[in-house]
Amino acid sequence: MRRSHEPVAWSLFGAGGMLLAFIGPGLVLTTALLPWLAADDPQATHAAIGALLAHPLGKLLVLACVALPLFHTLHRIYHGLHDLHLPAPRLPLQLLCYGGATLLSAVTGWWLLQV
Amino acid sequence: MHKPYIQRQRADWWLRNPAYRRYMLREATALPLFLYTLLLMSGLFQFTRGEAAFLQWLEMLRSPWLLALHGLALAAALFHAVTWIALVPKILVIDTDRLRVSPAAVKLAHQVGAVVCNAGLLLLAVLLLRAAAGN
Repeated sequence: MRRSHEPVAWSLFGAGGMLLAFIGPGLVLTTALLPWLAADDPQATHAAIGALLAHPLGKLLVLACVALPLFHTLHRIYHGLHDLHLPAPRLPLQLLCYGGATLLSAVTGWWLLQV
Repeated sequence: MHKPYIQRQRADWWLRNPAYRRYMLREATALPLFLYTLLLMSGLFQFTRGEAAFLQWLEMLRSPWLLALHGLALAAALFHAVTWIALVPKILVIDTDRLRVSPAAVKLAHQVGAVVCNAGLLLLAVLLLRAAAGN
């Protein structure tokens, strides 16, 4: 029997779900308020975010906050489309969702190495 | 050989039962959260392009469309957090001879942890940005 992708997909989905439960609302509120929080001195906000992104741990943190939610949400969207009876063959949809999450995570990692 | 029996299910099966509707709503939280993650990625991309591009992205966050996305993402994140943590005790079962933790305690610990982490992140961001602007 062909090996299932499900254990790997579910691990990343689970990690992303836990991360989103623990910091999702706080993160969304932070970026929602960011233009106002930064209004006094936008350059200082840019510098502060630069300091976070300059540190290897900061890069890892940001990568986790992007990659894990990507795998979490695209896993749910993949299964949600199945639940909605989307008449599409399984493999291309899997490639699109899990391949898309992988590709977007890799792009994020590449950008993090640029700063 | 017999033909396999295929149980027919209508595409709108989830509309009929409130529990199924809640399930679909929970799964649908992924959509705004996915878009929000793309917004985070766009901010990172603008950051790689330099200060001016990033500050422009920062100003763009004031647009009504992106505030609406933030509102939707916040509602989705809250609904996700509540439903996710409600499921944790079903998956994380601590029931051995040496250690036994009741499902209610597992759930409560996660709820307290999530509130502390979310509030802590927001507080940390506000304090750090204020300190940075003070310099």
